[in-house]
Amino acid sequence: MAQALGQIQQSNFVPKKWQIINLAVLLVLIIFPFVAGTFQTNLMAKLLLFGILGVSLDLVWGFTGILSFAHGVFFTLGGYAMAYYLKLNLSATANNYGGNIPDFMVWNGLKELPWFIAPLQFFPIAVIAMVVIPAGFAYAIGSFIFRSKVSGVYITVITLAIASALTTFFVSQQAYTGGTNGITDVSKLMLFGMVVPPIGIYFIILAFAALTLAGSWWLTKSNFGLILRSIKENEQRISYLGYDVASFKIFIWTLSAGIAGICGGLFVPLNNFISPVYLGVAFGTQVVIWVAVGGRGTLFGPIIAAILLGQLQNSVDRITQDWQLIVGIILMLVVLFLPDGLMSLLPKKLLTSSSNKKLLASSSDQLEKA
Amino acid sequence: MNVLSFNAISSLIYLAEISPPPKAIDPVAITNQLLNGVGIIGILLLTGLGLSITFGVMRIINLAHGEFIMLGAYTTFVLQSNFKMDLLMTIPFSFLFTALVGALVEVTIVRRLYGRAIETLLATWGLSIVLQGVVKLIFTAQLKYVKSPPYIRGNWTPFTIGGQAIEISYYRLFIIFMALLLFGITAYLLYGTTLGREVRAVTQNREMAKCLGINTSLVDMLTFAYGCGLAGIAGTVIASLKSVAPAMGQDYLVDAWMTVVAGGVDKLVGVLAGAVLIGESNAAIAYLLNDPTARVIVLAAVIVLIRYRPEGLFTVQKRG
Repeated sequence: MAQALGQIQQSNFVPKKWQIINLAVLLVLIIFPFVAGTFQTNLMAKLLLFGILGVSLDLVWGFTGILSFAHGVFFTLGGYAMAYYLKLNLSATANNYGGNIPDFMVWNGLKELPWFIAPLQFFPIAVIAMVVIPAGFAYAIGSFIFRSKVSGVYITVITLAIASALTTFFVSQQAYTGGTNGITDVSKLMLFGMVVPPIGIYFIILAFAALTLAGSWWLTKSNFGLILRSIKENEQRISYLGYDVASFKIFIWTLSAGIAGICGGLFVPLNNFISPVYLGVAFGTQVVIWVAVGGRGTLFGPIIAAILLGQLQNSVDRITQDWQLIVGIILMLVVLFLPDGLMSLLPKKLLTSSSNKKLLASSSDQLEKA
Repeated sequence: MNVLSFNAISSLIYLAEISPPPKAIDPVAITNQLLNGVGIIGILLLTGLGLSITFGVMRIINLAHGEFIMLGAYTTFVLQSNFKMDLLMTIPFSFLFTALVGALVEVTIVRRLYGRAIETLLATWGLSIVLQGVVKLIFTAQLKYVKSPPYIRGNWTPFTIGGQAIEISYYRLFIIFMALLLFGITAYLLYGTTLGREVRAVTQNREMAKCLGINTSLVDMLTFAYGCGLAGIAGTVIASLKSVAPAMGQDYLVDAWMTVVAGGVDKLVGVLAGAVLIGESNAAIAYLLNDPTARVIVLAAVIVLIRYRPEGLFTVQKRG
């Protein structure tokens, strides 16, 4: 791990064209909630979160080559941490069930708050748990599977098993998790004694998205990012060069799970509930679809795909109920005819810049591969 | 790391709290439960067999496998509701229909993606969504029901223990019989016929097989179609156990994968081993604790198994 951390150094700067585009996009997104209605603001906030969830998957899949169906799991673990906090605070102030424990626990015969849920009623602990629980879970899994000869498809099968097992587990522990319904009717998010309005949540999410993107950009363009991409291209050669491949994988896997956890935590005040649906294989696949459609190995691809698909779904839903069919067709078309995703439609000149030789070299390598 | 151990402890506590007080070992109940496990083995073997062809032999990651099961079930439903056909009579039709769809899929999608495992995985996932969507368009999302043949109803009582009957339903016996029959046929096709030898030749060394005059693309198509056809038969047989619905395939997908991967993919016998192992341990743990816990423990065990033996339990170690 120490070796992995040592590789994150000051790296290339962002090409000027990109800086301008980024600032313009950011500006549009800042103005957006003032122009659009509450519904659109909430939808956009949700899609931004899903996009960032996609980016977190992209860090391990597009950049490092580990395909995971378990990112929904990390997302949901973060979500539950936040949901317990909001639910417990609702119980404390405005509950109709007596005592200060959530309704679903009362219904399932729990007399007092389980000790491992109780600390989550404090905001700082909930916020820390929202990151540390998914990241810790990912770290445990990562150290278990990446330090072995398991690779490729088998890792993916393992993530399928994790998603499936945790769904069963959360559904079966009705007294503690709310079962199939999950945690519903949570209180509004309060910060500094005030209820955060939808637009406030939108800006929190936007700030988080911008920070994550900037951080990911910096990380993937650093030497560390180069090594990640080399692991994807040729794992064996990189390990012969003396790098401890497993520690790089574990690091990015844990980081990615932490980001996914924050996404989940921010999702709850927006969505007002969390349920095992988001743990399941289907939602995990949804994340994979955003990355595949947007473009693996690009940071903006997943966000663009999440926003486009989400907005499309929103408009199509009014006409037809068969949105999933359309997603399936889009996915198949992209895989067959546009393997590098929507981002590969952008002119190549935009993606490279003469001031950025390392990037140029690596992207021309990728072109040769393709 | 504290949180982690905290997690581990709390999940242990969960398990301790939900597990019922230790039962006295009741020979009748445990025998029945083990026979129950036999039924699970049948289903796992049936659903895993097709996958062991498409993944084990061809190395195609087919996430639409569950949807081929679903197509088989719907074929039976259509034939039963329109022609009042017996369930057994519909088996050849669902085999042919799903095999045909499989062949079509191989030619249009899978063929373009050979050697690119992840792309195949994504494309077949897209296919699974599309197949579900199309079936939903035609038949709506309403649950459909399929009748099992009247002559395989009721329970069989092989023996009694202390006056209490040990029972297994004839339909479960039928499932395990079908599974073993198909397993035998598949093994014969793969290891006893010229076509099977060609299939194995193509998977071992495609270029060389081509040089020796084997029509590799035809072999690919037939193999994939056969694997899908097996899934179709599984769908028909399973259809009468539960209801038939567009999303039913999803229930079997993960389990079928675990079966194939746990047993090992190099040899066909791996899927049988995987089915027996998962089926019986599931039944045994479910008897001691409860069903969800059994599923969680079995899945965790499969993860550990993959971690230490990615080739599966029953595969001879090869030198890289």
